[in-house]
Amino acid sequence: MAKPPFTNDIRTLRFLAGEMTQGDLGDRVGVTRQTIAAIEQGKYSPSLEVAFRIARCFDKPLEAVFQWSDDAD
Amino acid sequence: MPAILESARQLAGADTGDLSMTFREKTAWLNVIAMIAAYTVYFGLLLSGHPAGRDVFPMLWLFGAIAVAHAVTVIVGTVILSAQAPKSERVRADERDRAIAGGAATTAYYVLLVGMMVVGVYMPFVDGGVRLANCGLFAIVAAELVNSIVVLLSYRRGWHG
Repeated sequence: MAKPPFTNDIRTLRFLAGEMTQGDLGDRVGVTRQTIAAIEQGKYSPSLEVAFRIARCFDKPLEAVFQWSDDAD
Repeated sequence: MPAILESARQLAGADTGDLSMTFREKTAWLNVIAMIAAYTVYFGLLLSGHPAGRDVFPMLWLFGAIAVAHAVTVIVGTVILSAQAPKSERVRADERDRAIAGGAATTAYYVLLVGMMVVGVYMPFVDGGVRLANCGLFAIVAAELVNSIVVLLSYRRGWHG
């Protein structure tokens, strides 16, 4: 299945946020650890609500977490 | 080893990627395996000339036995998988689980629709209802199998709606 037309920095942000694990982030956002792993690897495009929840966990704006790929246009 | 590298190693160790299967993915595998096993036996017996392919009561007995065996296998398997799964995975389906289930159900609906249309077209050409019932049953099994396979593929290969 094709990759989504955007990338994300969740893995880096987790590391910078006190080495937060996928499970911890999943608990805070309300999804499973596997869903966080799938989002990080571009295997799942989260809903807008989950995307905002992830950004709020890191206290960052949405565009600091998810970036539109320039070659996707 | 520098502290930051040690931290990164620990973080990587805590995150096992998505190679490990979720509880829901395991139950989908259980459904696929149990369904293939049960209905291969059922339709295999019909094709080899079992009376369930012609008469009502042998069909009801055979189908009943197969359906009960299938249900018991799935229930026992689900209980075992549930006991082994971490509590966090058992609680509720998250949005990815629901999106995957919805997409799979949509695909399976079209398989069922086409199967039922074929059964409807076939209906005027047969006398007994047993053959027709078995054709309908095959369409239902095929649709359910497609449902589970799409779920499994979506978990492994990704899902983007």
